[in-house]
Amino acid sequence: MAYAPHSSTPDRAGSIMESHRGYDPRLWLFYGLTVLLLGTLAAGLAYQQLGRTVEHREREIVQSQRRVVVPGPRGNIFDREGRLLVGNRPRFAVTLNLDELRSEFRKEYLRIRRNYRDSGDKDLPTAAQMERIARVSVVQGYLNIVNRALGARHRVYDDILDRHYRQARILPYMLLEDISPADYARLLEQLPVTSPLQVYTASTRNYPHGTLAAHTLGYTAADDDLAVGADLPGADLTTFKMRGSIGRQGLEAALDSRLQGQAGGAIYRVDPAGYRIQPPLQKRRPVQGGDVVVSLDLDLQRAAEAQLAETGLAGAAVALDIATGEVLALVSKPDYDLNAFTPRLSHETAADIQTRGAWINRATQGLYPPGSTFKLVTAIAGLRSGHIEPDSTVECTGAYRVGGRIFVCNNHRDRGTVTLAQAIEKSCNTFFYDYGLKTGIDAIAAEARRHGMDDPTGIELPFETRGMLVPDPAWREARRQERWFPGDTANVSIGQGDLALTPLQMACFAASFARSESTTRPTLLHLADAPRLHTEPDGLTPAQRGAILAGMEAVTNTGTGRILQTPRYRVPGLRLAGKTGTAQKRTAEGTLNFAWFVGFFPIDNPQVAIAVIVEGDTPGEDVAGGRYAAPVAGAIIKAWADKTGRYGLATPPPATP
Amino acid sequence: MPRRFDQARPFLALGVALLAWLLLPALFKRFARLGIYELQAPVEVSASYVRDLQEFWSEKTRSKNELIEAARDLSRLNSAYELRLAEDGRLRAEIDRLEALLRLPSYGEFRAEPARVVRRDFTAWWQRLVIRKGGNHGLLVGSPVIYSGGLAGRISEVHATTAVVELISSPGLRLAAVFEGDDRPVSFQGGVNPPLRPAEGLLEFVPLDIFATPASPRRLVTSGLGGVYPPGLAVAEVFQLEPSTDGLFKSGRARLDPRLGRLSEVTVLVPLDGDFLPAGAPKP
Repeated sequence: MAYAPHSSTPDRAGSIMESHRGYDPRLWLFYGLTVLLLGTLAAGLAYQQLGRTVEHREREIVQSQRRVVVPGPRGNIFDREGRLLVGNRPRFAVTLNLDELRSEFRKEYLRIRRNYRDSGDKDLPTAAQMERIARVSVVQGYLNIVNRALGARHRVYDDILDRHYRQARILPYMLLEDISPADYARLLEQLPVTSPLQVYTASTRNYPHGTLAAHTLGYTAADDDLAVGADLPGADLTTFKMRGSIGRQGLEAALDSRLQGQAGGAIYRVDPAGYRIQPPLQKRRPVQGGDVVVSLDLDLQRAAEAQLAETGLAGAAVALDIATGEVLALVSKPDYDLNAFTPRLSHETAADIQTRGAWINRATQGLYPPGSTFKLVTAIAGLRSGHIEPDSTVECTGAYRVGGRIFVCNNHRDRGTVTLAQAIEKSCNTFFYDYGLKTGIDAIAAEARRHGMDDPTGIELPFETRGMLVPDPAWREARRQERWFPGDTANVSIGQGDLALTPLQMACFAASFARSESTTRPTLLHLADAPRLHTEPDGLTPAQRGAILAGMEAVTNTGTGRILQTPRYRVPGLRLAGKTGTAQKRTAEGTLNFAWFVGFFPIDNPQVAIAVIVEGDTPGEDVAGGRYAAPVAGAIIKAWADKTGRYGLATPPPATP
Repeated sequence: MPRRFDQARPFLALGVALLAWLLLPALFKRFARLGIYELQAPVEVSASYVRDLQEFWSEKTRSKNELIEAARDLSRLNSAYELRLAEDGRLRAEIDRLEALLRLPSYGEFRAEPARVVRRDFTAWWQRLVIRKGGNHGLLVGSPVIYSGGLAGRISEVHATTAVVELISSPGLRLAAVFEGDDRPVSFQGGVNPPLRPAEGLLEFVPLDIFATPASPRRLVTSGLGGVYPPGLAVAEVFQLEPSTDGLFKSGRARLDPRLGRLSEVTVLVPLDGDFLPAGAPKP
C-alpha cells in the first residue's frame, strides 16, 4: 500500500521515511535485543535438547512406562525321604484385559448417553457416572460369554471393577477366580485365542496332607507388598504388583526367604489414559523359590497324629533323631487344615480354630509342669552331686513329711524299700522327695539348666516360647520376694511346683541323656550327612547311668509304661527306655492332669527320643501318662520299627530266592 | 493441465479410492467382501471338480493287477473295520447301559458330513482348508473336523457352498487335550508353522509328572472337556516337555501328522443339539 503523508505532519513523515531506510541506530539496538532474546531461546532449546537428553529420556520413560510385577511360586517342602509335604497347585482364573476394550467402553458410553437423552430424563447422570455404567455393561457382556460357556450366572461387581479401573487398569481384571480344571478346559477351547478374555493361571499353596504337621509346616498369607529383587529392571517406574504370598507361621514363615520365589515382571508402555500397549518392552518370567527338605518323617508324624487324635484330647508329641537332633515328628493337637488358608482364611474357620484353641503349637509354645518325667533330672543331679548312689534306697510308706506338710507318694502306695531303678519304674515320689531334699534345689536347678531347660531350644520355628522356667530360691526372691521352702524343693524334685517346660525341651533332654550328653539343639532341616552332635558329657559313671536305664527300661516293661508291651504297641526285640508322668495343674475349675511320656529307643543303640504330653480337659479326671501318653509314643515306636524293619517283624520278610 | 499434475493423477485416484473405502459403512464393506467370496467360490469349486476328474483319469491308467491288489487290500480293511464296528457297537451299548444306570446325560450326537478339500491356504500365521460344503449342507461355525488321522480342526467360516476349516496346526486354534491314559487337561495350540515344514503345536499347563522325549513320545488326544470336540480324537504326538520356570507346569512341543498338509477329504462332525459348539456360535 502506498504511503500518503498527512499534510499537517511533514516533519514526522520525513523521520518515518528515514527509519525505513534502516539507518536509525536505535533499530540496531532493537535488532540486537531481538537476536539476544532469540539466541537465549535457541541456547535454552539446545541445552534442553542436547544437554539434558538423558534426563528427559528418563522422565519420558517414567511417565510413559509401567512395570507389572508377578510373584514367583514358592518352593516345595519335602520330608526327609523326599515326599512332598507342601507344594503348589495351579489356580485357574478368567481375566479380562481392559486395555483391549477402550473403544467398546467409548461406544457403550455414547449409547448410554444417547438413550438417556432420548428418554428425556431431566435427572441425567454425570459423564463419570455414565462411563462407569458403560464399563460395567461391557465387562458384564464378556462375563456373560463365560457364563454361557460354563452354564453359570456370575455378575460384575461395580465397586470392585471401578476400584480396579481407577487403581490398576494396567493389570488384567479378574472376572472369576479359582475355577475348576473342567471349567478351565471348557474355556480354553471355547474362548478365541485373540479374545480379551483369557484363562490365567497362578499358583497357590497346596498341602496334600491337610492337617498333618499343621503347626510345623505353617501357612502363608496374601502379600500385597511383594518384595522385588534389585536386578528386576524398571525400579524407578511406577510399579503394579500382583498379589504374592508370605509365610506367616511355622516353616513357611521361618524359611520364607528360601521358599519365596523370584518375582518376574514386564515393562509396558502405556497411553495417556493408563492402558498398556502390547507387547511389553521387557519381560522376565518368575522363578520358583528353593525347595526345602525338612527332617520330618511322614510315617512317624502320621502315626503320632493318628494316635494322639484317638485320645480326643489336646496334646503334643515330639520325636528326635538322637544323633543329629533332627526332628522326626512334631505334633500339636488340636490343629487345623492348612488348605483352609488358601486363598484366604474365612472368618468362620478362624473363629473355629480360636474356639478349639488350635492356634497354639503345644510342642514349642505349650508350657507344662513336667511331672514325674523330671525325676530323671533329679536323679542325675543327685548322682552327680554324690547324694544318690546307684544302690541308694528309701523306705516308702506312701507319705513323706516335709516340715509340717505331708507329701503323698504316687497313688498313696506303701512300697517298702525302693531302689533308684524301682523308684523310676514305679514313679515313687517318696524316693525323690527324700533325695531331692538331700541334693538340694540349687543342684537340681543347675542340672536342669545344664540340660538347657531354662532356655528356648532354638528350633527354626517362629514364636517358640521364652517363658520356660526352672525355679530356685534366687528366682523366687527376685520375682516374688518370697522365701524358698523345703516343700518347694520336694515339689520340684517330682516335676511339680513352678517348673514350666515345653514338650520339645523334654524331647531334647531325652535325646541328650541317650547320648550321655547335656544338650541337644533340635533342627527341622534335614541334611543327608548331618554331623553327629557333640556337647558336654552328662558326667554320669556307667554304673550311675546303668541304674537310671534299668529303671527306665523297667518302666516300659513292668512299670507305669507297661502298655507298650501290649500287642498293639509291642515290638519284639526292641528295648525301650521311658518315663511316664502325670502332672497336675490347678485351674479355677479344679485340678487338671497332664499325661507325660519321655523316652528313647533302642537302649543299646539309641536312635529316637520321644516326648509326649496329653492334656486332661476335665478337672479331677485321671489322665495318667501311662495310659494316655505312652500309647502315642508306642505308635511312633511301632511306625519306626515297621519302616526300619530291624525289629519285631510280625511277618518275616519274603525269602530271597 | 500442467504436466506435473498429470503425473500425480494415479496417486490422486488411489487416494480417493482409499478415502472412499475408509468412509464406506462397515456393513457395505462386509457385504462386498462376502459377495466377492461367494462369487469366486464357484470358480474354486469348479477347479476342484476338474482336479477330481484329473485324478480320476490318472487312476484309470492303473493296471488291472494294481486294481486287483487294491481291491484285496480294501476287502481286508473292510473286514477289519467290520470287526471294529462290532466291537464299537458292543462298547457303545455298554456305555449306554452305564449312562442309563448312573443317569448321566449322554454325549451330544454328531452328524458326519464328508467333504472334499477345495483349497489349502497355508502361511506361517494361519493354516486353513476350504472345503466343498457349506451352509447349504447344514455346516455350522465351530463344528469339529476330522480325518483318518484324528482331529483336523474346526470350521471357522461357513459360506453357502464352501466352508473354511482352521487346522489344528494354526496358531489361532486352541483346545483342551489330554495325554492318552491321563485325564488332566492340558492346553494345545497350533504353532507358527511356515509352509513346507513339518507342523508343530505348543503345549502348556502340562502336569509335572508327565514325561515325553523324542525317543518316547506321548500321544495327545482330545479331552472332550472343552465342549467342542468329542473325546479321544488323536491330536498330536508330544516329543518335548520342559518344566517352566515357575515350577507349576511343563510346556512343550508336539508333532502333528504330516497328512494334515495334504488332506483331500475330511469329515465335518455337525452337532445335532448345539452343545458341542463354542460359546457365542450360532446354534443349529
